[in-house]
Amino acid sequence: MSLEIDRFSHIESSIQRWDPRLKILSLGIFIFVAALLKTIPVAVASLLIAILIIKITNIPFHFVAQSIKWIIIFLAPFFFILPFSYPGDPAFRFIGLPFAWEGFRLSILIFTKAVAIVLTTDAIFGSSRFDISMIAMQRLKCPKVIVQMVLFTYRYIFVFIDEVKRMEKAMRSKGFVMKTNMNTLRTMGNFVGTLLIRSFERTGRVYSAMLSKGYQGDLHTMITFEAQGKDFVKAGVIAILTIAVLVADMINIFHPAIKGWY
Amino acid sequence: MHIADGILSAPVLAAGFGGTALLAAVTMRKMGHEEIPEVSVMSAVFFVVNLIHIPIGPTSIHFIMNGLVGVILGIRAFPAIMLGVILQALLFGFGGVTVIGVNCVMLGAGALGAYFIWQLRHRFPLGDRLEMIFGGLAGATGVFVSGLILAAALFSTGEEYIATAEYALAAHIPALIIEAIVVGACASFLKKTRPDLLAGQVLQKKME
Repeated sequence: MSLEIDRFSHIESSIQRWDPRLKILSLGIFIFVAALLKTIPVAVASLLIAILIIKITNIPFHFVAQSIKWIIIFLAPFFFILPFSYPGDPAFRFIGLPFAWEGFRLSILIFTKAVAIVLTTDAIFGSSRFDISMIAMQRLKCPKVIVQMVLFTYRYIFVFIDEVKRMEKAMRSKGFVMKTNMNTLRTMGNFVGTLLIRSFERTGRVYSAMLSKGYQGDLHTMITFEAQGKDFVKAGVIAILTIAVLVADMINIFHPAIKGWY
Repeated sequence: MHIADGILSAPVLAAGFGGTALLAAVTMRKMGHEEIPEVSVMSAVFFVVNLIHIPIGPTSIHFIMNGLVGVILGIRAFPAIMLGVILQALLFGFGGVTVIGVNCVMLGAGALGAYFIWQLRHRFPLGDRLEMIFGGLAGATGVFVSGLILAAALFSTGEEYIATAEYALAAHIPALIIEAIVVGACASFLKKTRPDLLAGQVLQKKME
């Protein structure tokens, strides 16, 4: 499970040392530019930039492979649907179905961009402790209620996954097997209900403990950020790459994916 | 049920973020800090339950359960779903960072729709099976509304995605049935064990 996104944030690299605020800001803008690209060569270039960034972080490949696996699962249907449903003249018939290169190129474009984005996201949030990233988000004017709730939720997720595993073990030891039938679904309803009750009771106790320690809706932290020259240089490099990618995509040196490969 | 990065056009992405900001502002009004842990808990449960897969013949399908969040939290379901979607995007690249807005509106509006249907139960004295029936309807509404928004987002991006939108809608039918049964069972279970956890339950007591 790749849930522990910050598992490799302790590795030394120039991305890990980068001020999280500037890192989130500059790579965040890069992500949005990448999402809106229309030409395949530029999308490939943005993917190469993303690979380079993840390479610099020294985060092992098997870790990012998890995220890429999700993209493949998500986007596989597009490869099967878009080429066969693209409006207009199909290039040829494939097992009786009209196959359009436009649709196929569009799937390639989508896939390339999605991988570039997920790699960059992994680089941003995989290279700092998650709580530090969130506090950096707060400094970037993200509402503090949302930042606090994200931190709570992040903490609870691991607790509840353990809870689910315990409950599953208990059910299996009583002979429960998941099948496609009413009984399974009703049992799962009760399972979710029990998970809810246990979760609310546990966190009710946590909340009482927080109140007794003086919690009044604010999260106090000793983390401070200090951006130095180097941090701005890194942000500048990313900004130049982002602008280059955006301009190359927009000045018509390449065809949009639906019109041609390059 | 998520839209991935790199598909939708800029106006649709912007509309997603705008819609999310608006819905978040409306649904989080007057939210005290004592509600923060409650919303976070539900959000984490939503996240974890999304990881559970139910077998359907040879394949499997994962829970969505946005309807259930509506049944438990009422309008506060929106912030809870929003947190879940944000974390899914950050931790998995599930969906993705640029589509956080669209996915929040899609799943969050489903949860709000589910809550609306769930509240209608006060008008129908159906006795013992009330929670099961309306929980089921709420579960189905969550998937249905989200499916419609998903299709609308694809439609409005371009005509090349019309077929994809149709397939996506069709693919949601099994999910809709499964969610209806599971949320119905869950609501009736909670009615028997911890009725205070269900949204709008206290109101009903006052009316009696």
